[in-house]
Amino acid sequence: MASTKEIKRRIKSVKSTKKITKAMELVAASKMKRAVSSTLASRLYAEYSWEVLTSIAKNTEKITHPLFVEREVKNILLLLITSNRGLCGAYNTQVIKKVLAFLQNSQKTVFGEESKRPSFGIDIVAIGKKGDVMMRRVGKNIIASFFELPSNVSLFDIIPISELAVNEYNLLNYDKVLVAYTDFVSALSQKPNIKQIIPVSKTDLKELIEKVAEAGLPREERGRPASAEKPVDYLFEGDQEALIGSLAEKITRMQIYQMFLESNASEQSSRMVAMKNASDAAGEMIDDLTLVFNKARQSNITREISEISAGMASVN
Amino acid sequence: MKQLKLKIITPERLILEEMVDQVSLPTTLGEITVLPDHIPLITGLTSGDVVALVNGEHVPMAVVGGFLEVKQDENGITNVAVLADFAEHMSELSDEAIEKAKARAEELRKQMENKEVVDYEHFAAELERSLTRVKIADKWRTKKYRK
Repeated sequence: MASTKEIKRRIKSVKSTKKITKAMELVAASKMKRAVSSTLASRLYAEYSWEVLTSIAKNTEKITHPLFVEREVKNILLLLITSNRGLCGAYNTQVIKKVLAFLQNSQKTVFGEESKRPSFGIDIVAIGKKGDVMMRRVGKNIIASFFELPSNVSLFDIIPISELAVNEYNLLNYDKVLVAYTDFVSALSQKPNIKQIIPVSKTDLKELIEKVAEAGLPREERGRPASAEKPVDYLFEGDQEALIGSLAEKITRMQIYQMFLESNASEQSSRMVAMKNASDAAGEMIDDLTLVFNKARQSNITREISEISAGMASVN
Repeated sequence: MKQLKLKIITPERLILEEMVDQVSLPTTLGEITVLPDHIPLITGLTSGDVVALVNGEHVPMAVVGGFLEVKQDENGITNVAVLADFAEHMSELSDEAIEKAKARAEELRKQMENKEVVDYEHFAAELERSLTRVKIADKWRTKKYRK
């Protein structure tokens, strides 16, 4: 049995670890709350930009802007959103696993004989250190990495990313832009997801906005007239093509922003859960060690008493 | 008097939602003023100030880039929605903040000369934001407006 001194030292170290994990849990919880509330705050903008887009689409027969037109896929750009730091449970592993599965699938369709799909190459833009490290390890081509994003991210921090994606798409370097991110379902469950953002697919976008709307306030409070059913004859001022173009860019940016917020909320909530588990485990360990310590102390006392009484007996 | 409902929305939050008498906005084709019962309109916005008129008082706001949507809702009230990349109440722009914005603009301009393409976009957007703030703040410094 270990000496009482040693056990005492171990209890102390576990206690201080517990303090740290507890603090991290609380920090993650408050950060998560903020991330969730900013996801909700961006919902109104998303709804309105969707409305403007649909009203433009109704007035023009077909949107011919390149950001809306699907073209034959030769190269894909994948934005991978992960965290910069570890200690957040399975958060990074989940999304990276999803990406690796996606990469493997695409490899199969490239080399598989029964495949009729055209082959395509995939390059990565890493947002967050963890994804960057992993993608380098599997030998993927990373064209850009973004590590400097703050946790209370603003739209301005997203501009370089979305600008990069749109430019690469416009230069015909890539024919499709996907984002791998983590969907924030609830504080206890997050789902990794891969979504297409360019070319802008209207059904996908609608889904995204509706999902966000559901997560928000009750319907009556949203105060959004159901104008979708009643077509309004809008007057368009300025170049319509240019308007659609800049709208498309803004929507892309908004989508990336929203996905980043979702990922952020997921990261914080999975960190919170991981840290909660760690604190609980530390608590259990302290209990166990305390028990061992008390037993050791008890046996020490018993031994001393028996030694003393043995001494007494021999003297008498 | 008839009023219209002005909403200023950025991706980060709802900046303003208020009934106003009229509103002037900087569109891509020049400044326009929207009065109640304006016909439905969609147009782009440039950087500048959105000025609402409430009870004879000016309510200025700095905006950077975005869209404008004007339409009638089912109650016959004219809705003006401004979707901006960035917007800020004039009263939020204290002198101190303006000085900071000025310094930031200068700093950004210097940094921009030796930056890579990716970062350039970020700095360009930041610079535009800072410059707009400074410009609008200077414009309204001497005028009277509702805080």
